[in-house]
Amino acid sequence: MEKAVTENRNLEVVRAAFREYYFRQSKMIEIPEGIEKREFGYMPFGQGMVRHISFKGPGEVLAALVREVPSDVYCSNAYYRFPNLPMQEKQWLGADLIFDIDGKDLDLPCVPSHSYPVCSNCGHVSAPSESSDYTCPSCAGKKAEWVSIPCAKCIDGSKKEAKKLIDFLTEDLGIQRSAIRLYFSGNNGFHFHIDDESYRMLDSQARSDLVGYLSGIGLMAESIGVRKSPGGDLAYVKFPKSGLAYGWRKKIADRLKIDNTSTIRLTHLVQQKGGFSAFQSEIDAIARQAGVRIDPQVTTDVHRIFRMPGTLNSKSGLVKKRCELDSIDSFEPFSEACLLGDSRVQVQMKTHVRFKLKGESFNISKESAELPAFAAVYLLCKGLAQVA
Amino acid sequence: MGPKDWEDDPLQNADYAKYPFLNDVSEFIRRSHFDFEEFDRPEMKDIVDEAAKRIEIEVDGKVYPDLDRFQKEVWTFLASLMMVKSLGIESIIRKYALFEAMRAENFLADDLKKIKDQNKIHLLLLKVFEELFKVKIKADHDDMRFYKVHVTDYLKRSSHFHEQEWKLINRMVNDGYVFLDAEETVRLFRNELSALIYDRVKAMSIASLPTSIKVKVEELRNSLAPRYEYRTYAVTEYPPCVKHALEVMGRGENLPHSARVMLATYMLAIGKQTDEVVELFKNAPDFNEKITRYQVEHLAGTKGSRVKYSVPSCEKLRNENLCFATEDCAGIINPVQFGRWKRQ
Repeated sequence: MEKAVTENRNLEVVRAAFREYYFRQSKMIEIPEGIEKREFGYMPFGQGMVRHISFKGPGEVLAALVREVPSDVYCSNAYYRFPNLPMQEKQWLGADLIFDIDGKDLDLPCVPSHSYPVCSNCGHVSAPSESSDYTCPSCAGKKAEWVSIPCAKCIDGSKKEAKKLIDFLTEDLGIQRSAIRLYFSGNNGFHFHIDDESYRMLDSQARSDLVGYLSGIGLMAESIGVRKSPGGDLAYVKFPKSGLAYGWRKKIADRLKIDNTSTIRLTHLVQQKGGFSAFQSEIDAIARQAGVRIDPQVTTDVHRIFRMPGTLNSKSGLVKKRCELDSIDSFEPFSEACLLGDSRVQVQMKTHVRFKLKGESFNISKESAELPAFAAVYLLCKGLAQVA
Repeated sequence: MGPKDWEDDPLQNADYAKYPFLNDVSEFIRRSHFDFEEFDRPEMKDIVDEAAKRIEIEVDGKVYPDLDRFQKEVWTFLASLMMVKSLGIESIIRKYALFEAMRAENFLADDLKKIKDQNKIHLLLLKVFEELFKVKIKADHDDMRFYKVHVTDYLKRSSHFHEQEWKLINRMVNDGYVFLDAEETVRLFRNELSALIYDRVKAMSIASLPTSIKVKVEELRNSLAPRYEYRTYAVTEYPPCVKHALEVMGRGENLPHSARVMLATYMLAIGKQTDEVVELFKNAPDFNEKITRYQVEHLAGTKGSRVKYSVPSCEKLRNENLCFATEDCAGIINPVQFGRWKRQ
């Protein structure tokens, strides 16, 4: 009972901060193109998803945000004739190409040092630990959810992937830089929206092939000229007649330091590896390394509702904020996407935490603290504090 | 007379003879006011015979290789369309369309390789790909052996091919284009060309069939129809992935959604009725007849989107850890093919 009351008070504080944002900062909300053909969805605080909603114009969207104050807001990448009907009756008209780079999928070495185990049974929060074994010190429960406070290295990792993706999109796929809209996801990663009509009609299977290309999955040794000899695991080199000048072939050729003027070096490399299969495994590993870590589900789903630009992310209280491609290196999501107010909120800490928001460093080791709303909401959203 | 009879046109009748499905050829037929009854004239006998021979060869699974002069090709093509239409056997229409497409594919790959005149190449690309399929294909000016297809035009087609070499990652890609040689370029469009010819057959309306054609159609029906009598295979053995799913179900254990979709689509594909398929799920711990029935009907295409779902490919099942391949699976790419070789 007491737990539920605290939960409600936490939600109320977060919701009040969100309300203020949607009321005062509505200019931050990016209304998508073709609004009347999009499906919208949202999560009311503490409840399940409401979707299959449509709006006629920007005014309706903004009014709904102020009225409902949702925890999360989504909009379809797809265009439909009837966006508010059930899925089978919507009549799909195409979908923007989208990508999701999530810091948690990058297996960065820094993650354990800022991931807090939250006991699934009693909600007790422990300090970060390198060990993957978990026992709750309060109730001895064995299951925990790990809450991460992304650090600068996490963001740099995501930026590196984002830059790789931009190179793939502009150089290989010929997409104009002006057609690429890049956003900080509002928590720990980046979202891409591509405004290029030629990609709109691709079905899920075609997008899946594109994901394979960008992720470096399925590259055959043959495509750089290493062919399997009939019988056995031997290989011979015969360069493809279209050469190695572009795309994946160039990426691999550069890494192996080969070109198609001589087969000697490549033949030697294959022998060194120990035959065709071993060389193929080497190619697989290089390609995975050179590819981009994107979430395949997001890109191949042509009926997805995706976080709407300019709205708040309830995992952090940060905004899904636009980042110009040219200023990606200097983009600081923990300042630029932190747009909640700074009225004071008294919170009770569940653990000792360190983080940086709006240029201000917080190092809280006390049991309770009075924090500006943006920082308090951040900790409440992460489940690392509760309203005092 | 051909569709284009001015001297300076890069494409001549000899070129059009290879591609009787082009819009310009249809226009030529329309303008010639050809009456179907003319097929009964004695000088048309060769053409009618040729058309029947062409169908027989194609139904046998071979490409008809001979190429005659323009007028003869056009009337032979027209006569063959009429015959296939009148036969009205779905499998024959599909086979005919596929092998007509492959015939044109051979000519086109050859033309794209051998023609050196840039204007002529340009016009051919325009007439075939742009006019028929609304796809712009460019010649690669740096290397005459290659053609440039936009990545999205490529993906829309290649993603339905199973071979690994058609995956985008195994292609030369630069600045939004995929570089393909002549054979690959035309191969990419085989299904569409075949569909175009299929549609031509379907769209044809023949008020009354000329006697000469009618006679040939009956001859063809006698020789070809027995092959297409409905054959039912009793599936005596399920593929290992389906067996595994049935065993899990049989034990009353929970089966992941993707495995249920595989099981249901497989059973529907081999001809089981909705009731029988629903019955299979009775043991599931969360069985709800109403929901299961709705879902099976959905997969069967009798509810919802009205699209019949196909059985997931072996590749997809492997990715979902639902594949339990045995030696007997060699050479198949979809569970429905399991055992077909053995039966033959």
